[in-house]
Amino acid sequence: MGTTRRRGGDGGMEENTMAILDTSCFSKSTQHIADDRLSFLEAVRSGFLVPENAPAPTNKIYKEIFQILRVENSLYLIMSSYQLLLEFDKRFPQVYLSTVKKSESSSPSSLPFNELVVVEEAWSPFSFGTDVSPSEKEDHDKTSGSLDPIAFNLLIQDIIKVPDEANTEVQDTKPLRNMLLFQYLVSFLEGDFVTRNLSFKENSDWITLRESFLNMILVSRKIIYKGLIKDCLSAMCQLYQFSMDCSHDLRPQKTESTEVTEKCHTDLAIALPEVVKRTCVSVQKFLLMIIELDSSKKLADMEGWTTRADGVRTPAMEIIMDELTYDKDLLFPFFQALDKQPKLKLDMIVQYFQKYIPKTSVRTRRSSDSTSNSTFGGVLKSFSNGNNTKGIIKKMSTEVAQLLLAHAFQAYISLPSQDSSESKEDDNDDNSLPDVCNHMISAFTCLKKTDGRMVVLPFGKEALFTAAIMLSGNSGV
Amino acid sequence: MEEDPFDFESDALLASSPAVAPKKRKKVIGLDDLLVDHYKEKKRVVERESKLAKTKKTYNSDEEEEDGRVAKLSKYVDECHEKMTHLSDEDDVSIWGLQVFGNQKSPPSFVFTDLQTCSLFHSFLNHEVNSLVELNIESVETFFEGLLTNGWLLKLVCKCGQVEKPIATWTFHLMLYSSKEVLRSAAVDFWCAILSLKNKGDSPPLKIHWLPKYSELKNALETYGYLLISPTKDSCDADMDLGDSKYMGPPQNIRAWIKYVAACSQARNLHFIFSVSEAEELVVATICLFMDRQLLGLSVDLYECILSLINFFKDEEWTASCTKIAKAVALRIPLDINCLRAVECIPAVCLHAKQLRSTISFRILLGYFNKVEDEEEVTRQLTLINLKDKTCDLFRDYIYLVLTENWFLYNPVLKEKTLLNEMWGLFLRNCCCQINITDTRSYASKVRSKASYLLQVTGDTLL
Repeated sequence: MGTTRRRGGDGGMEENTMAILDTSCFSKSTQHIADDRLSFLEAVRSGFLVPENAPAPTNKIYKEIFQILRVENSLYLIMSSYQLLLEFDKRFPQVYLSTVKKSESSSPSSLPFNELVVVEEAWSPFSFGTDVSPSEKEDHDKTSGSLDPIAFNLLIQDIIKVPDEANTEVQDTKPLRNMLLFQYLVSFLEGDFVTRNLSFKENSDWITLRESFLNMILVSRKIIYKGLIKDCLSAMCQLYQFSMDCSHDLRPQKTESTEVTEKCHTDLAIALPEVVKRTCVSVQKFLLMIIELDSSKKLADMEGWTTRADGVRTPAMEIIMDELTYDKDLLFPFFQALDKQPKLKLDMIVQYFQKYIPKTSVRTRRSSDSTSNSTFGGVLKSFSNGNNTKGIIKKMSTEVAQLLLAHAFQAYISLPSQDSSESKEDDNDDNSLPDVCNHMISAFTCLKKTDGRMVVLPFGKEALFTAAIMLSGNSGV
Repeated sequence: MEEDPFDFESDALLASSPAVAPKKRKKVIGLDDLLVDHYKEKKRVVERESKLAKTKKTYNSDEEEEDGRVAKLSKYVDECHEKMTHLSDEDDVSIWGLQVFGNQKSPPSFVFTDLQTCSLFHSFLNHEVNSLVELNIESVETFFEGLLTNGWLLKLVCKCGQVEKPIATWTFHLMLYSSKEVLRSAAVDFWCAILSLKNKGDSPPLKIHWLPKYSELKNALETYGYLLISPTKDSCDADMDLGDSKYMGPPQNIRAWIKYVAACSQARNLHFIFSVSEAEELVVATICLFMDRQLLGLSVDLYECILSLINFFKDEEWTASCTKIAKAVALRIPLDINCLRAVECIPAVCLHAKQLRSTISFRILLGYFNKVEDEEEVTRQLTLINLKDKTCDLFRDYIYLVLTENWFLYNPVLKEKTLLNEMWGLFLRNCCCQINITDTRSYASKVRSKASYLLQVTGDTLL
């Protein structure tokens, strides 16, 4: 049904709305072009979003809106096109699951299952044309309106520069536009990938997942995959740092500037912190998707669904762990910035600890060392006696150990399973909230005992306070 | 010499000159003679030229005509171009945007010592873990700031099942008045989270011991320099005290305010924060915030806020509230390009919002026509407009077009009223037919293309 709805989009509607942009007969001022673009967006909105059973916009219309988001300088137009694209993706998904009752076709006993529906020839903000030479690239970009993987990577590199650009005197809409563009692209990738991944998990169909835009970007030979991941890491840290630092008002102090320019500076200054924060969340989402894709691919590899064409790619998690190991300056900015994905954060810290916890100590502790080693509870237990602790802080300083433990604890209490106040039943005893809290406190006590000069850092203090209150609150109820 | 010397057709010159010349030549050659000679000479030249031209003309008449036409055409093009640039200059003037904020006031004072009285802090002071944490009365504020920004505080209040008054007032104050981005954004996240927290299973619901009243939200807005509280005070008065740009509102906290209002309206079933009439005022204030170009970048949050506010109302409350809001908005927004923004800022995605958009459009239209109160009369007035009239204000007609479009499009009841629809159709056709495509008046082409677009889109229902 969805397919017919999209393809059924009537040409008259497209022609009428597109005509709004074509009214130029004399050389027009930029204000006129902006006006026309605005009425175009407004017409598209009222034509395709307002009626309950409106057809999906045609590719031409999508392209035009996306073009406005990519090139426009007026904040108003950027915001309108950005919002419109997001709403369209929500209303007219290009990939979705539709429930099919299998009983109608063949086997009467089977349960209804979800079938993946991919809208054919749908517009996408990405293009993977291989026949475009670099010299033609600029022209190509302008005409097709879509980004290729190189342009996407360049966009991420531009985002890394945002904090620097925002601190200089010259303020234009480019940083803001780039961030919104990136947010939209991630949301688009997400809509595509999450549905396909769900279908992969249900129907074991690797082909559809291979064709997801995310996978196509990552396997593209045009970009250096490792570089892309590293760019994401630095973008995330830079943005987070910036959003934490901007305590002062960003608006320019100069008063001699005219009313209009000052206003347009203020609007950027007011919007910036929020957009930066959301972009940081988008980068996290993007990384998480890559990691999920990796694990799906691993499964497909093991089942033998992949072919040689799929190639070999280092899992993103490994690249990130390597980066964190070799670039110590990245460690805490990264974990601090990773504030919206507690599960990923906890997994990463536990993995990081595994590199430093002496293997033997864990083996003697439990017969099934793999489970104990790979949980937060297991990591905390490694800090329960003096010898072990000494061994660990020989390799990493007490400061690092403290902060990592506190970050892991922060992620642990933010897990969705903790919100429901009942810990998951499949967790082992080491991972229940009271145990984790107790072990947190004893781990810190042990650290302090082992290293007498250790000063508990503020973040560690907060974690300890929380652990103590969590325990007393528990006993009180 | 009253004759025109260049009037060569005149007989007077030809006739008189030979008669006068011989008489005077006998004396001295006077100035007049010289002049006459000069004329004679000139006349001869002209005659010769005209003869030449006549002979030429027989061969080259086409070319010459062409030249003339080209000259004429280029002159027209120049004129048109001039008019067009003039025209676009005029249009540039009408950009929406209101001065919604003036000078900020100093924020209300706040005592942080309260924080020491909360049991969360006290219960810990004698805890054995405090030997590691070393928390004391002096460091309490900094410590709690850390708890807040790193998200611990939220987990703690969830665990304890209550938000104590000192914590509630402290975080609320940080949210609305702190100049540190870290604190205000952590505080607003905290408040949005505790307001939306639903009780799960058998655990008792979260008790918030202090909830801010509507007046606190209103005061905050006034502290930010909000000017449009009452309809009598318009933006002109505000220009008086706009001196120091350093104190110009709104501060960055406006973002927190917007998010918080959205969270409050979504939490109506869990917490009582403002009444229906207070929510009405908040809708009006939010629409006014849309009018400030400084807040353009927050449109995502503003959309979320106004939608939450609109859906705060129950269906049975909405019809009355909608009209009240529309009336208040129509009173506050000046009758110019800004009123279009007031209509278009309302996202027409749900029934309540569509109704509001339609009602506001209608109320503003009423403001344009004096002493007109019913729908039929408004539409009749529209059909009476003569767009051919040179004095007709096409900009105003453009506003009528957009307002009426919104009024009709989002009101399902109007579809049944044939008379109204016929008159609306007539107005649209008037806008199309009465404006010539070469009309260079300001907004002529806009009115024309807008009307023809609307005719195309709504054609089947109207005709």
